[in-house]
Amino acid sequence: MLNIPRRPEWPAAPGLVTPSRRSFLSGFASLAIGAMLHRDGVARDGGWAPPDGKPHFAPKAKSVIWLFMNGGVSHMESFDPKPMLTRYGGKTIAETPFADAQDPEKLALERLVVPDGNGNQRNTLYPLQVGYRKHGESGIEVSDWFPHIARHVDRLAIIRSMWTTDSNHGAQTQFHSGRHLNDGDYPNLGAWVHYGLGSLNDNLPQYISIGNREYWNLKDGHYLGPAHDAVPMRVDPDNPLDFGRPERPISDSARSVGIDLLERLHAERLAESPRDAAVAARVASYELAFRMQQSVPEAVDFSQESDETKSLYGLDLPHCREFGMQMLAARRLVERGVRFIQVQHGAGGAGRWDAHGGLRANHEQNALAVDRPIGGLIEDLARRGLLDETLVVFATEFGRTPGSQGSDGRDHHIFGFSVWMAGGGIKGGVVHGATDEIGFHAVEDRHYVTDVHATILKQLGLDSRKLELPGRKRLEVDHGTPIDAIIA
Amino acid sequence: MRVAAVRISQWLLLLLVAWGAFGPGRSAWGDDTYPTRIKPLLRERCYSCHGALKQEAGLRLDTVDLMLRGGDAGPVVVAGSADESELLARVSTADPFDRMPPEHEGELFTAEQVALLRDWIAAGAPAPPDEAPERDPAEHWAFQAIVRPPVPMIEGAANPIDAFIARKHAELGLVPQGEADRLLLLRRLSIDLIGLPPTLEEIADTQGDASPDWYDRAVDRLLDDPRHGERWARHWMDIWRYSDWWGLGEQLRNSQPHIWHWRDWIVEALNADLPYDEMVRSMLAADELYPNDLDRLRASGFLARNYFLFNRHQWMDETVEHVSKAFLGLTTNCAKCHDHKYDPISQADYYRMRAFFEPYHVRLDVVPGEADLGRDGIPRAFDGVPETPTYLFIRGEERNPATSNPLVPDLPEILRFKPLEIEPVVLPVEAWQPERRPWVAEAYRRAALETLEAAEAKLADARGAIDATCRDGADAAGPDETTEEARLTLLVTERNRDAAEAELRSIERRIAAMQAAWDRDDQTDVEEADALAERAVAAAREAARAEREAKVAQARLALAEAELKLARAAEGDREAAGKAVESARAALDEAVKGAEEPGDRFTPLVGAKWTPTRFLNSGQDDPAIPFLPQSTGRRSALADWITDARNPLTARVAVNHVWTRHFGTPLVPTVFDFGRNGQPPTHPDLLDWLAAELIEHDWSLKHLHRLIVRSDAYRRSSGMADAEGNLAIDPDNRFLWRRDPIRIESQAVRDAVLSLAGTLDPGLGGPPVPKAEQEGSARRSLYFFHSNNERNRFLTMFDEALVKECYRRAQSIVPQQALALSNSHLVLDASPRIAARIAGAMADQGHEADDDEAFLRMAFVLILGSEPSDAEAAAGLRAIDDWKALEDSSQDQDSLAFAREQLIWVLLNHTDFVTLR
Repeated sequence: MLNIPRRPEWPAAPGLVTPSRRSFLSGFASLAIGAMLHRDGVARDGGWAPPDGKPHFAPKAKSVIWLFMNGGVSHMESFDPKPMLTRYGGKTIAETPFADAQDPEKLALERLVVPDGNGNQRNTLYPLQVGYRKHGESGIEVSDWFPHIARHVDRLAIIRSMWTTDSNHGAQTQFHSGRHLNDGDYPNLGAWVHYGLGSLNDNLPQYISIGNREYWNLKDGHYLGPAHDAVPMRVDPDNPLDFGRPERPISDSARSVGIDLLERLHAERLAESPRDAAVAARVASYELAFRMQQSVPEAVDFSQESDETKSLYGLDLPHCREFGMQMLAARRLVERGVRFIQVQHGAGGAGRWDAHGGLRANHEQNALAVDRPIGGLIEDLARRGLLDETLVVFATEFGRTPGSQGSDGRDHHIFGFSVWMAGGGIKGGVVHGATDEIGFHAVEDRHYVTDVHATILKQLGLDSRKLELPGRKRLEVDHGTPIDAIIA
Repeated sequence: MRVAAVRISQWLLLLLVAWGAFGPGRSAWGDDTYPTRIKPLLRERCYSCHGALKQEAGLRLDTVDLMLRGGDAGPVVVAGSADESELLARVSTADPFDRMPPEHEGELFTAEQVALLRDWIAAGAPAPPDEAPERDPAEHWAFQAIVRPPVPMIEGAANPIDAFIARKHAELGLVPQGEADRLLLLRRLSIDLIGLPPTLEEIADTQGDASPDWYDRAVDRLLDDPRHGERWARHWMDIWRYSDWWGLGEQLRNSQPHIWHWRDWIVEALNADLPYDEMVRSMLAADELYPNDLDRLRASGFLARNYFLFNRHQWMDETVEHVSKAFLGLTTNCAKCHDHKYDPISQADYYRMRAFFEPYHVRLDVVPGEADLGRDGIPRAFDGVPETPTYLFIRGEERNPATSNPLVPDLPEILRFKPLEIEPVVLPVEAWQPERRPWVAEAYRRAALETLEAAEAKLADARGAIDATCRDGADAAGPDETTEEARLTLLVTERNRDAAEAELRSIERRIAAMQAAWDRDDQTDVEEADALAERAVAAAREAARAEREAKVAQARLALAEAELKLARAAEGDREAAGKAVESARAALDEAVKGAEEPGDRFTPLVGAKWTPTRFLNSGQDDPAIPFLPQSTGRRSALADWITDARNPLTARVAVNHVWTRHFGTPLVPTVFDFGRNGQPPTHPDLLDWLAAELIEHDWSLKHLHRLIVRSDAYRRSSGMADAEGNLAIDPDNRFLWRRDPIRIESQAVRDAVLSLAGTLDPGLGGPPVPKAEQEGSARRSLYFFHSNNERNRFLTMFDEALVKECYRRAQSIVPQQALALSNSHLVLDASPRIAARIAGAMADQGHEADDDEAFLRMAFVLILGSEPSDAEAAAGLRAIDDWKALEDSSQDQDSLAFAREQLIWVLLNHTDFVTLR
């Protein structure tokens, strides 16, 4: 048994309570769905019960920091370097020894949903646009665009054999829920975690989203209910939450008289109908809301952080300051007991990493924006002893084609791409799975996106089958299979 | 936690029953294994082919007895001998040809499940006594004809609804709660029927109304109120998936621009009490039933909304899925890849249903007064590709069509209560040549006239300005450039006028030419025909000439503008500006040349425009789809079948939707699945009786509303006082011994705040308020732009409808709602206004202006719908005093007003404000 979710060295944060206590947020949620299903008789038979907030088995991780690079990162120019691209650059795939990569049978994996100019076969191999080298004791090769992450390569488990099915950016939702945008709306991983687990801190929302999410639907909970949507947060202590402070001036003293009266009236109401769960939940929601108004700005206030720490995240560098602030905020949120922090990089349009043209400049600039902050995050989590219990995930919706699009870009590529995980009981310094020599197909230990979800859930002590709702049958592929090879 | 305890006790009970049935002495692994673990597994994986629905290989597995008996190949279970049991062999073999369930038909058994099955067979395959096989799907309750059940004779139950409910109460020993307090009832009724709380005046009237029929009069008043249509339109818009358009950036990908016409049609139809069956027919087939009636064509926005730029199959899938779910309560979508696992709907049935919709596309029709379809137009369906075959997709895969067997529209056999008759519909000429509609030419003419008038006014201004300059500044003549610039400025305005004039002429000539062509085409008399044809050619020449001359005038304008730009250009820009003049001059030369030999071809005016698709993945719009003189009639045949009084589903599903929104809880919990995998109704007779009422009262929804809201069940108190007995029997109130409180919907929350403040804009209908203008808008929330990508910030906090599917709203309680109600400017701005309105009413009711208690009582009644208790009143008055005493209260307003505004803020944050108690 490893790392039972209780950590004596957890830094003191205001109002921290033991993890075993059920959060208000999650509490409302099970109330909302559970009550509805149960009242309607849907959940009456079959012994279904909403989750009680406790893990199903001993967890190894408490929190997740989910970093999502929108648009599709080139796996060959990040965590799966392919020298053959340079060697055969300019040749068509058919002219190389790897011609069978385009065997129609092998391409049948792709489902064409939204035909547009992108997402097509790109036949002429495009040389690597950046160098790469071995790092760490493991000697894992990482491209030179990610030196700060590479410094921690012995802490990473890189999965080089991801595949997905849809070659357009609806695959962003697919990476979060397992289902493509056009298949309908399904709960995101963060929503499942939020649904399944209790709170680590009753003063903070347990599922927070940082960064814009423009391309895809702004919801997460879907059929689990809006109580499981991430709470969007800005890294701005003056205005971190929607409606997080009064939109018209009001003095604290006047507000405080009002809050006292509201509590008094609610108490009267509760005394009148002690059995009314909705009234009790409403009362609790106000309590948490008023606490959040204090605790959330505090969580993103960096005034107590040292210059050294700020510099570690690149806050002193204009090209990575914005993402650095988000990473530092993520660490502070984990520290305070937020369960799932979902950070989007480069959302808007189809995603900033979507390098159909000018890949070199595009990826160089994007890597500059995220590399130091992510390296800093891993370093800082490790220094503070948080990395063991915090699972950091670096993901993107798909890779990019080995062949060139236009003169200097790469297209969407679903047949093989890379993600990595670190911390939270994941092995460090390992490469799992592989693509072929030109990075076209995942050929060893292939994994669909939900295997990443299953791995994360397992580290958090959750069995996704036990979370299933009556009337919401999930398929095997929705559940995925944990990647045990990378679990320490 | 109590809920969980109850569930556990039921579970224990089940175990005990099972134990009792088998008696002690059975094997130690437990006799509940079959009913609780094996049977559900077989039901999920096997029954769809080996049960009541189908009997592949003559085999059924829905009872142990049937397994022992076996199928065509003999028994599949040999009690006590796992190795001889074919069932076990087939679910555990590695051979994919023998393995069950077959590939793509269901999940394989896990090793654990196989072991469970093996142990159970080895233990003798014990079964509960008298295990009943599955019932014939044809006997499923929802597939039976609707027969009006007799109303039970129950004393005191005047409304048949109450008789049905009371019978259940008597059976179960439940004692219903009494009627709710009058003010709460008024608030409940008002928010339910018009989506807004009662005003102070309405409250006062009700309080002073001694007559027993006050309630019935309130019902009539509210149902006649045009805001009733707005309120209930939003409910139906949830079910019918209303969405404004969305895409990527400016690119339209989903739904249609101007789809709000459909929303307005729903509001108007509900207010006019258009029969529900007629609404459904119009939404599915207005283009065939009312091909030239723009008002009615708005209804087919229901289909236009499903438009999807890129993929026809997804568009069709969504159409089949949601027509089935919304109107029929059928999950036809489950039969896309394989036969339905629960209902008698084959995979072919799925595609036969699709075939009804296969020919339809979407277009925008010009509306009177607006020629520009970018600014307005009616999005609607039309049959554009009648020849497109419908194929079954093997395993549901688009790339795998079964092309040898095209399918024709038809209905699942179980529901063929009458033969389907599809008659092609011959359309009036204006429907497929919409440019013939008289308002089209008029709209173009008016637009051109307005442009000309504006151009002339501008020219007059410019001339006036020059005259003034000449008068005032004879001696202040500037340098030559200024003079030149002035000359060119004037020239531009002159050219602009000329261009507008030429355009008007072009429009007029084109109208005349089109008219001449129609006269020729419509002429049946041969003698006349030649003359008309000649006239048409002459008119076409005129039109072509006028159009080209308009182009010349336009090119002259462009040249003058380029010259002016050059005159004004800074040194660095001069070269580029010079080049622009050159190319403008070249364009003019080109235009002049074109006008020399205009020919007889001209651009006809457009009366409707097909909304282009990109199914072909060519990087550009697909080839245009023409408007045809005939429609297939498929959708009107489908609509006719759906709305036939004999259809067992339509009225039941509609009644359930309506009931759900009045009571917060449905009669059939699975509101979009009335099939065998759904839940049965809690009150089957009541459901059928209401369905029969709906049909027999000409599908009048207002009749249904009136019936329901006048029932005792609706008027019951939501309190749980003195209800220990009821709570023990029916803790979830499934049998309606009290009223369930409802958390009001997002739109109702916002509308209520504005309404109490007196700032709600009473205007009905029109284009949606764009997101950027919503913060400052006082329009009802239903008019806010609402799509998959764009939703209002405040409304999203309160479970806004998701546009892809929303058969029921969630009623969550989350802290973000508390933040929105306590901090939004909506609430903070409304508080002083509400306080001021109450102060005004106090004077009318004869209270002293400084009577805080009177204020407090009125505030409670207005905002929460109830009088404060003594304790609440005392707490409120104390808080008012506290606020008055605060330093900051006297800064910009008097302390009394400040304190009262704070009290209002508190009440708007009270749980009862967002609750229909």
